[in-house]
Amino acid sequence: MRKTLLFCLAALWLAAPWSAQGKMDLVTLPARESVELTIYNSADLTLARDRRVLTVKKGLNRLQFSWANTLIDPTSLEMLALGHNADIDVLDLIFPPRTNQLGLWRLQSARSARLPVEISYLTSGLSWRAFYLGTLKSDETKMRLEGFVRVTNVSGEDYEEAKVRLVVGKVHLLDRIADLARRAPPYGRPGPVPSMVRPAADESVRREQVMEAKSAMARLQAPARPKEIVKEGLSEYFLYTIEGTETIPHGWSKRLPSFTAPEVPVVNLYKYEEERYGSAVVRFLSFKNDAAHGLGQTPIPGGQLKAYRNLDAAGHLSFEGQSQFKYIPVGEKVELNLGAVEDVLVQARLMNFRTDRYLFDSDGNIDGWNEIRDYEIEVKNTRGIPIRVEVRRNAPSAKWELEKKGDFGTYEKVDLNTVKFTLSLKAGETKRFQYTLTTHHGRRAD
Amino acid sequence: MSLALLPVSAEARIKLAALPDRADTIIRLDHPSATLIEEERVLTLQKGLNQVDFSWEGVSIDADSIRLKLLAPAGRATLLNLSFPPKEASLVWEIHAQEAVEAQVRISYLLHNIDRLITYRGLADKDETRMQLKSFLILRNFSGEDFLKATVFLDGGRSFSQQILHEETKQILLFTKAATPIRKVWTFDAAKLPWDPEKIETNVGIPVTYQVENTPASGLGGSGLWPGKIRVFQEDGHGGAIFLGEDHTGMVPVGEKMEIYIGDSRDLVVTQRKMKEERINIRRNKSGRVVLYDTDEVIRAKLENFKDRAARLTLIQHIPGEWDMESCNVEYKRRDAGALEFEVELAPRSHRELVMHYHRRHVR
Repeated sequence: MRKTLLFCLAALWLAAPWSAQGKMDLVTLPARESVELTIYNSADLTLARDRRVLTVKKGLNRLQFSWANTLIDPTSLEMLALGHNADIDVLDLIFPPRTNQLGLWRLQSARSARLPVEISYLTSGLSWRAFYLGTLKSDETKMRLEGFVRVTNVSGEDYEEAKVRLVVGKVHLLDRIADLARRAPPYGRPGPVPSMVRPAADESVRREQVMEAKSAMARLQAPARPKEIVKEGLSEYFLYTIEGTETIPHGWSKRLPSFTAPEVPVVNLYKYEEERYGSAVVRFLSFKNDAAHGLGQTPIPGGQLKAYRNLDAAGHLSFEGQSQFKYIPVGEKVELNLGAVEDVLVQARLMNFRTDRYLFDSDGNIDGWNEIRDYEIEVKNTRGIPIRVEVRRNAPSAKWELEKKGDFGTYEKVDLNTVKFTLSLKAGETKRFQYTLTTHHGRRAD
Repeated sequence: MSLALLPVSAEARIKLAALPDRADTIIRLDHPSATLIEEERVLTLQKGLNQVDFSWEGVSIDADSIRLKLLAPAGRATLLNLSFPPKEASLVWEIHAQEAVEAQVRISYLLHNIDRLITYRGLADKDETRMQLKSFLILRNFSGEDFLKATVFLDGGRSFSQQILHEETKQILLFTKAATPIRKVWTFDAAKLPWDPEKIETNVGIPVTYQVENTPASGLGGSGLWPGKIRVFQEDGHGGAIFLGEDHTGMVPVGEKMEIYIGDSRDLVVTQRKMKEERINIRRNKSGRVVLYDTDEVIRAKLENFKDRAARLTLIQHIPGEWDMESCNVEYKRRDAGALEFEVELAPRSHRELVMHYHRRHVR
């Protein structure tokens, strides 16, 4: 851990004003036993739990914790004595006057002892994200799906040999941790805030720290195999625990494999809906996060998928597109939007329009009528593989009827004014169907 | 802040070097927006008229709030008046003493820029049925005054002795309750959340709330719980914890519930669609104008639980105006005239459907 995060212990026999004592002499710098980082992806937020063994003396002990140049939220600091609980009383945590990024615990001990403690705090600057590589078979019926996580540390702190856990889930936060970390004094101040000039960061020191960090990375031994990631659910969140420990110096990122599903059956789904996509046909890869698809053990965190297709036996690839997708719970279907395509064509033509069944009021004005529209939909698959096409149509009125004919596949009323036709097309196949939409207006809608 | 006795004959007021020391000092924090200081001092009064100078340069005192009370000995001295000198943060009391006496006085005033915050820290168990609840007092002193030893009073008569210096912030543990029962609630409010998640680029989360009752049965109930920020953690089953979320709670009187919104669930999904809305029962006036009609409406909601644990979803539906329910396949209770509340038990990895068929009346 960088020198900026210091943990000092002094034992005092008399309670006295902090200012009268001045800063305490460093009596012990206890070695860190372990550090655990729980990193969230929905917010710039990490829970750090740092375990150390202190040597406390009987009486009043003062424990100083300072975190200069880091992004620790001081309002989240908590110290727990892990042993001798009956003999230890944490009196308070003081943020002394005219100091910055420094806290002072007062701890009353009934006896002299070695005391394991856990310091926990929230920090900003550590993040992770999931991303995926999908490789379709040449017939596009199955996809090899590989998931990765990338952990990045710009917290100002080097974390060596840290146990790393990643949390998937949406946490409710009132404040940004980075803002709390920069706030001085830690809980703000009542009344007007005096203007302050912040000193500029010393870049030469930063460079030196980065070089130190790089050295730390170089010392790491290459693992014999990719690390496993243990997954479990907690409350509304999902926890990924990376096997063993990781060293993540400030400024560095690490990419770790999350899972591999070698053969996920996929459906090439093409969608056409003028109101959402204009005149384009948009390609989706559809599958379900369940056992039948070689998945379903855990939710899949949202992220970006880059989709490729195997072209030949030599393993050459073509890039098919990329999609940003949402969190997928176990058992839910996913549709990955790969963007607009031109090799599947849908044309919706209005072939006829007429009005009918007029109603007149007592003044002779029209106050009710029907509009009748005849549409023809042509769906063309120019690809060399079978596909599924979904055509959605929206009615411009709440009261309507629809008559359909031709090869329209399956028909479904989605909601009040939306219908869906789903067609399966063989390679190179073209299908046509027609429908007549009658909408009611004015008194005809009653 | 200083307190001095002045010779009455002096033309200009001269502050004496020998200041009466503070005896007891009380910092009273039971009001949410004002801090009352009460300090006791001993004044050595001469027989006759005495002037006592009280100045507070650099300290944010509400001058109108300053009061002096003569405590002892009773009836031997009388406070005559007080005056404020020009361009100074000070005042002068005139006190008449029947004889030379050591008078015990209490000076009280409202002091700005010293206050308290309350924060909470909850640690839920893995089953999310109980929570260790801690409450902290955050004492912030930016008043310009050092209090080397003061008794801090909170509501309900709670007090403790504390030193708090100028520009100092202190976090003090108020209480710990080991196993407070909690109830976890998922709430979908159709007026607040999107109806069709498929049309939304990001996940639609169902808000998750913990409820804690401020009652003796919950190990609480001794007094109201002050408003403050609460951070909730959960035991992870491996000797550690994860952070679940944070919220700001309002004042929770005894007997009421603390509601803590911790985050959103993305494993419960509600997809709601209006399937029908048609005008029926139309009445017209003699001119043929519609004066009354009903709308025949059908709402269908698919409630999916992708979790491997059961969940009890609270569903809030809104039907504005005058309405009659024609049929509904799930029991509900009215929250008010236009809001319906459904409690739906969702088994692990299951889904249910809610269908509401109702008529709404429209008067023109």
